[in-house]
Amino acid sequence: MAADHHAVPPPLQDIPTAKEKKYDRQLRLWGASGQIALEETHILLINNGPGVTGVETLKNLVLPGVGQFTILDSTVVSEADLGVNFFLEDASLGKFRAAETAKLLMELNPGVQGHAVTEPLETFIAQDKVFTPYNLILVTAPIDRNILAQIQTHAQALQIPTFYVHCVGYYSAFSVLLPPAFPIVDTHPDQTATTDLRLLMPWPALKEFAKAKTAGLFEGKLSAQDKAHVPWVCLLLHYLEQWKEEHEGKLPESYAEKTEFRKLVRSGDPHEENFHEACAAVLKSLNPPTPNSSVRDILNAPETQNLDATSQPFWVIAMAIQQFYIKHNQLPLPGAVPDMKAQSADYIKLQNIYKTKAREDCAEVLENVRRLEKGTGRSPKLAIDEKEVENFCKGAAHIHLVRGRPFQVVQAGQLVSFGDRAKAMAMELTMPDSLIGLYIAFLAWDEYVATHSSPASEAGGEGLKVPGSGADDFEGDTEKVTGIAHKIMDSLIKEAGTSIEDPEYSEVKDKVGSFCMEMVRAGGGELHNVASLTGGLVAQEVIKALTKQYVPVDNTCLFDGVASKTAVLRI
Amino acid sequence: MQRRDRGIAQSLGLPLTKRVKESRVLLVGAGGIGCEVLKNLVCSGFGSLPQYYGGEIASEISDMRRPEIVVVDMDTIDLSNLNRQFLFRKQHIKKYKALVAKETASQFNPSVNIDAQSGNIFDDKYDVAFFEGFDLVFNALDNLAARRHVNKMCLAADVPLIESGTTGFNGQVQAIKKGVTECYDCNPKPAQKSFPICTIRSTPSQPIHCIVWAKSYLFPELFGTSEEDSADVTVTEVDNVEEVAKLRIEAEALKTIRGLMGKSEFAQAVFDKVFRDDIERLRGMEEMWLSRRKPEVLCFEQFAPSMDKSEDVVERGRALAMKDQAIWSLAENLAVFSSAVDALSNRTLASPGTPLEFDKDDKDTLDFVASAANLRSHVFGIPLNSEWEIKQMAGNIIPAIATSNALTASLSVLEAFKIMRGASFEQKGVSKLTISHVAPTHNYMVTNGKEGFMLGGSKMVFLNSRSTERMITTQNLVPPQPDCAVCSPVYAKLRIPSNSSATLQDLVTLLQEKLGYEDFSIQADVGIIYDPDLEDNLEKGMIPAGYIKAGNGFLTVVDEGDEGRVDLVLSTSFTPNTTEADPESGLQLMPEEISLPSKHKSVAESNGQAMTTTEATGDASKVAAHFNAKRKRDAEEEVVGAKKRAKADEEVMVVEDDGAILLDD
Repeated sequence: MAADHHAVPPPLQDIPTAKEKKYDRQLRLWGASGQIALEETHILLINNGPGVTGVETLKNLVLPGVGQFTILDSTVVSEADLGVNFFLEDASLGKFRAAETAKLLMELNPGVQGHAVTEPLETFIAQDKVFTPYNLILVTAPIDRNILAQIQTHAQALQIPTFYVHCVGYYSAFSVLLPPAFPIVDTHPDQTATTDLRLLMPWPALKEFAKAKTAGLFEGKLSAQDKAHVPWVCLLLHYLEQWKEEHEGKLPESYAEKTEFRKLVRSGDPHEENFHEACAAVLKSLNPPTPNSSVRDILNAPETQNLDATSQPFWVIAMAIQQFYIKHNQLPLPGAVPDMKAQSADYIKLQNIYKTKAREDCAEVLENVRRLEKGTGRSPKLAIDEKEVENFCKGAAHIHLVRGRPFQVVQAGQLVSFGDRAKAMAMELTMPDSLIGLYIAFLAWDEYVATHSSPASEAGGEGLKVPGSGADDFEGDTEKVTGIAHKIMDSLIKEAGTSIEDPEYSEVKDKVGSFCMEMVRAGGGELHNVASLTGGLVAQEVIKALTKQYVPVDNTCLFDGVASKTAVLRI
Repeated sequence: MQRRDRGIAQSLGLPLTKRVKESRVLLVGAGGIGCEVLKNLVCSGFGSLPQYYGGEIASEISDMRRPEIVVVDMDTIDLSNLNRQFLFRKQHIKKYKALVAKETASQFNPSVNIDAQSGNIFDDKYDVAFFEGFDLVFNALDNLAARRHVNKMCLAADVPLIESGTTGFNGQVQAIKKGVTECYDCNPKPAQKSFPICTIRSTPSQPIHCIVWAKSYLFPELFGTSEEDSADVTVTEVDNVEEVAKLRIEAEALKTIRGLMGKSEFAQAVFDKVFRDDIERLRGMEEMWLSRRKPEVLCFEQFAPSMDKSEDVVERGRALAMKDQAIWSLAENLAVFSSAVDALSNRTLASPGTPLEFDKDDKDTLDFVASAANLRSHVFGIPLNSEWEIKQMAGNIIPAIATSNALTASLSVLEAFKIMRGASFEQKGVSKLTISHVAPTHNYMVTNGKEGFMLGGSKMVFLNSRSTERMITTQNLVPPQPDCAVCSPVYAKLRIPSNSSATLQDLVTLLQEKLGYEDFSIQADVGIIYDPDLEDNLEKGMIPAGYIKAGNGFLTVVDEGDEGRVDLVLSTSFTPNTTEADPESGLQLMPEEISLPSKHKSVAESNGQAMTTTEATGDASKVAAHFNAKRKRDAEEEVVGAKKRAKADEEVMVVEDDGAILLDD
């Protein structure tokens, strides 16, 4: 499998049957294209600390069939490892943890290749182009802050998605570094959100069909049978015409008007199912097809507006859509029609009307794409696939762009800055459900590690000291970590140019303090259960980043195992 | 050297760590969630023999409550499990999940105590006494029936249950404890979708209608148990009575054709019957097609030019069936249909007495359903689908991924920590633990007296990892629904020596004497066996009449007097010898003292949980109304067949004799 990583992606039908059967339940979520992306991936895990979360994350990626993984870990397996890490056995004691966990993980899926690197992190990272074989990096805490900064620099240069993961006692957190522009076409929106029937902007073919189906409805000339089978789309179009006549050509816009309009539809027939369906659809279907702000941001992004010969296909198609939008004041039609009460022949006709329009729209966008390719002097070898344009047109209203942001890497004795996010994060402090306090506690934890460890070059990766790890550290370390956390908190409030008054201020302080205390009490130990959960969360996000499907976390996710809840912050 | 469980002890604290190690837990299901739960239990030290606490603890514990993890699962391993059920490998396919799960998990941690049982949780040996042997039960099941059963068993045994489930990116975890929280059945579960018979048999308009036709009508008529004998179709108001009658005749004719099975003309006969003759009959019903497109008649012969011998069609069909992602043409569907009919006929003839059942993973049955559904779709002008898509619709396939299982299982075990922590305070009377390095806890978890704080602060947890903002969220647990038929009764035990000659009269007397019942009825698994107007069964022996069976039997005692005490559910079990508890019959009620609150008071209230009075009154009147109605009905009906009534009482949804087509298999 490793050999044909760079082979042309096979079409759906060619995935061998046994493999397809094994992956059946997941193929139904991310399809063959997602599966191929997964299989072309080589993940690097830089495993530190107890290392359970890293291995649990890999377990969840080996099972669905990631191509390759490499574990970088120079730790030797101890008794404590055996108690908490499922992917070690008694015979692993005294051997390299990287090699042992890689070996046992590989047993999970013969289609996956695993590798182990046992050299110390600082010498590994000093090598030239050391990250080029990998498509994604996972780093677990604790880690020397300078090495983390170096990894971040490499990852940014290579535009490799990178995860920085903490898991201490009942708590965990991970931050995702994505490229500065990470566009997603396949966002898999809720099916209810994707229905786009353009009832407020019907085109001639649709208008005519609705007219034909509702002819005689107003005069009561339709037979009961026919009346009960008018598709609700046609009913709404019919009553919209009537509404316009009665309202100087205006459409129902406000909530009150829509409610009024619904009454009008209901007056047509109080019992028939198709009229019920029509009434139920009024509020959600009668919306102008304007793109939401995040889609507009993409259409107006600098990457869209300043195309060149080597622009990624995403931006070229986005520009072609933008041109379409300027011309028609609407996005291309997706073309799907939901199930509704109708005679099969009518339903099929209706489907064809939508499909035809969708095809026409897509053809126009494709024309724009070809013109843009020519205009920017794009090489014919890089010609954008028609399928990609089609797919983009179908999901145009739901495309998404993540602007990746770097991790906050703490520096000893220097308080982290929140920059343009300071105001938003300071506001989080007083929100009851926010986990910003937990994030600050983890920053303080990192800061403690930075100030209490001997330089990595002298003591190796094992030189890192985490709070609460010594026998009598609990009280002293709790005080230290809480002190650092409170400093970070105060500096955030100051940076945001705001203030929090008592008693709220004391409450926030206490909350941050209790996170710190719990964290110190764990002494850097991982609870298998929380590590396993965190491994699930991280793996899920890794799959999103690799398949470029679904909307990934932007950019930090926190888990509080005491309250059993997560929160996402954009740091 | 560091201790093996240093991390656990540091995070959980010594008291909880000790409790976890001493615990005896049951895991029902070793599938997607089950594998993950088992790993988490093993790595958190559940049921691992206490080693460094010295011998004192081990000696305190009786053999019946030996610390261990018991895993029960009746399934065997399938290839499509391997993308997430990580304790299984390719070489384990077709082996029992429970046994392999134990084998693999033990390799990782040989000191762990796992008892693996490849049994059905409905089996008699898993009786109330079995469930009582556990501190905690985990449900990791994939079906409603088993979930409801374990729910009831845990209520009867008064053992906390952690229920969990996943679908795609979503998951849910819920702790259940008798009298404290809602039970699994407190909220009605969504009914399975069914279609009107005429939509399926005469006027389909969507692919699913044709798939249901092929799977639930044509397939069983030809190779399985005929429709009338099994669950079938709903005759609804919209169905045309005459048409329904004709459809019955049509099905009869198909049975005659079944007799041709094994002959070379069988496939053609079936094809021409359902796609030519039946369609021609439908086309003749002019009024049906006034506003619909008339279906198109297909004839086997019309494909004759494209094939030479029937042998070749079968061969071609077999090859085509491998391409399950492609949409087959009409001729290709016919070829797959022919080869599937051939394969299924051979199987039926090879073992005549055993009807075949549709199974999405049984390729022959899937080929048959996919091709027949597509041919029918063509007849009615409905778009065709690939076999892969049809498989999802016909098999009710729920997408499943490793990450959701990992997340849900971890959340289950987190809830287990909370419940065990809560339980330890109840038992030891500790109201608050101080925070220190050795006895740590989250004081706000324990002392939080707010509403919704129950089971050590356990919550209802929801997973939606597809979401980017709120992946894991919680809701407070809710007190039991006072009118829940499953958890509102008082559960007690009725023991009987296996050689007892006790009659129903003995039980009636016992209930009258011990619990002061006057006007009451008794319902057994077979139906109502006693009520004020039904005394025919009194002389029957409890065991010979089948009122008490070994294993999971239940008797429900309903107080029909004005006082209206809550229902009493007696779980029945055999004792080996005649005891001296009641020399007359050997019948013995457990516990000695059973308190039956009036229906006006909710069960929750009797357990010390506050309920608002308005709520309770409202429900009480509702219960009373239901009660009277039921009694009236019971009185009016003659006891003809107790069995039939028992069935009607069990199923809330009463269906006509034609039943409903179930999409689930």
